Amino acid sequence: MARTIMRFTGVGGQGVLLAGEIFAAAKIKLGGYGVKTATYTSQVRGGPTVVDITLDDEEIFYPYANDGEVDFMLSVANVSYNLFKNGVTEGGTIIIDPYLVHPTEEDRKKWNIVEIPIITIAKEEVGLVLTQSVIALAIANTFMKAIDPETLKEVMLSKVPKKVHEPNLKAWELGIKYAEEAIAKKDS
Amino acid sequence: METREVIASGNDLVAMAAVDAGCRFFGGYPITPSSEIMHTISDLLPKVGGVAIQMEDEIGGVAAAVGAAMSGVRALTATSGPGMSLKAENLGLAQMAEVPVVVVDVMRGGPSTGLPTRVSQGDVRQARNPSHGDYRSITLCAGNLEECYTEVVRAFNLADRFMQPVIVLTDETIGHMHGKAVIPTADEVQKGIVPRKTFDGPPEEYLPYGVGPDEPAVLNPMFKGYRYHFTGLHHDAKGFPTEEIETCRKLIQRLEDKVMKHTDELEKNEEFMLDDFNGEEGEILIIAYGSVSLAAKEAIRTLRKEGRKAGLFRPITLWPSPAKRIRHWTDMVKNVLVVELNIRQYTEEVERVSGRLDLEGLYKVNGRAISPYEIVEKVKEVF
Repeated sequence: MARTIMRFTGVGGQGVLLAGEIFAAAKIKLGGYGVKTATYTSQVRGGPTVVDITLDDEEIFYPYANDGEVDFMLSVANVSYNLFKNGVTEGGTIIIDPYLVHPTEEDRKKWNIVEIPIITIAKEEVGLVLTQSVIALAIANTFMKAIDPETLKEVMLSKVPKKVHEPNLKAWELGIKYAEEAIAKKDS
Repeated sequence: METREVIASGNDLVAMAAVDAGCRFFGGYPITPSSEIMHTISDLLPKVGGVAIQMEDEIGGVAAAVGAAMSGVRALTATSGPGMSLKAENLGLAQMAEVPVVVVDVMRGGPSTGLPTRVSQGDVRQARNPSHGDYRSITLCAGNLEECYTEVVRAFNLADRFMQPVIVLTDETIGHMHGKAVIPTADEVQKGIVPRKTFDGPPEEYLPYGVGPDEPAVLNPMFKGYRYHFTGLHHDAKGFPTEEIETCRKLIQRLEDKVMKHTDELEKNEEFMLDDFNGEEGEILIIAYGSVSLAAKEAIRTLRKEGRKAGLFRPITLWPSPAKRIRHWTDMVKNVLVVELNIRQYTEEVERVSGRLDLEGLYKVNGRAISPYEIVEKVKEVF
């Protein structure tokens, strides 16, 4: 496998960190290397946050994504989207929550922008807004095919409290479903 | 050596290392980007009969840790640059009274409150002399996740060997990066613990500071019948204040010599892709430490693929600096690039020990990491 670099962005307090940890742990479990770094501002909540996830079969030294090398980005906040979009390779996929992120027409030409209302799905279909990071995880993996889904799901379940396994499993399945629909729509 | 694989952040690894190395006291105050050390050790210490306490401020944090270390316990405090500034006075006391405390500084942008959540290596010069007066700082610098563990373990053993504070520098990048680390098992670490020396003779003959000219004080644990005096003033063999001329001179000379005559026990470096260097033209020596060395290694991989013969010299013990080894490489290699997340803080030391003023440098002070590409570009620009 070549190096896979994914970027999750949001604002502080949304829980974008967890998805990164789960990805890295799953890759390591499968015998590879995974590193997660998080960059945030001194605002505790509301400041732009970016999580870079690097997965590789070879040892990873430098843990951040180089600008222009991010294969995939997911964003649930406009301020972070604008700050970090330029790290994505031309033609790369950017998943956005259409209620929260507003790309320009130019952006839509430059990148493969896919709209999935992640926060609304978490709130209304799962009923637990906290599960948005698991929805994001499932979407990212469905697009990137980075990790064997069963392994990723197992690691995810080991990282969330038992009492919320059920909503997180639901979030996981919904993430896959919405991602597959988006891929099918694009292909048709 | 038996090892284990863990998935953790650098800050978590610092806390684990301390507990495995026998630390039983943590005193501190939360500060970004080091707070997770305190969070994690607060979970771990009570389970092994230890104590973690959040004090009223940074000064209280180090004072409590120094006090615990005076009593004979292995003690830790953790902080970032602004906290180091506040802790300086008590670190000076620990140098003078010869108290073995370990201080972890997870560096962030400075001066002052600076850039709390951003990476920097701006405390390197400060770590050399946090407080006034003559003494030699022992400062280690972790360059990857593994070393957040192994260097903290080493710091505790060195603190007890040299009887003085030992500073471990990490930074925001390594503290918060989360990934795989292969580290020694706790059993292996415990087998390697060398406790501080104690005096077993009759209490009336005990002279804690009455030691050889290059030896550290022998401070027995408290409450065992051996009474002595701690002070920041110049003191005699028993620890009581004195202004007697020779005693004062010998004391400070001993603080110098106990470290500088034993630098071989402190030196630790990594030499990455330097084994094929032989002094031929075109060789490129990069000197970097801490998290910057991660970018340097990626840059060296790229340069090697492009046919450029590049290698890294990375000091792990920053202070005292590995003077002879730096001199060895800078005598051999013409093209030298020092890369730091500050402005020339270690470059000046490399200049001093190499005697060269033609070193190239790449520096960054905006709170962002130096990327491998920036290093590759700089190499192509200057060599």
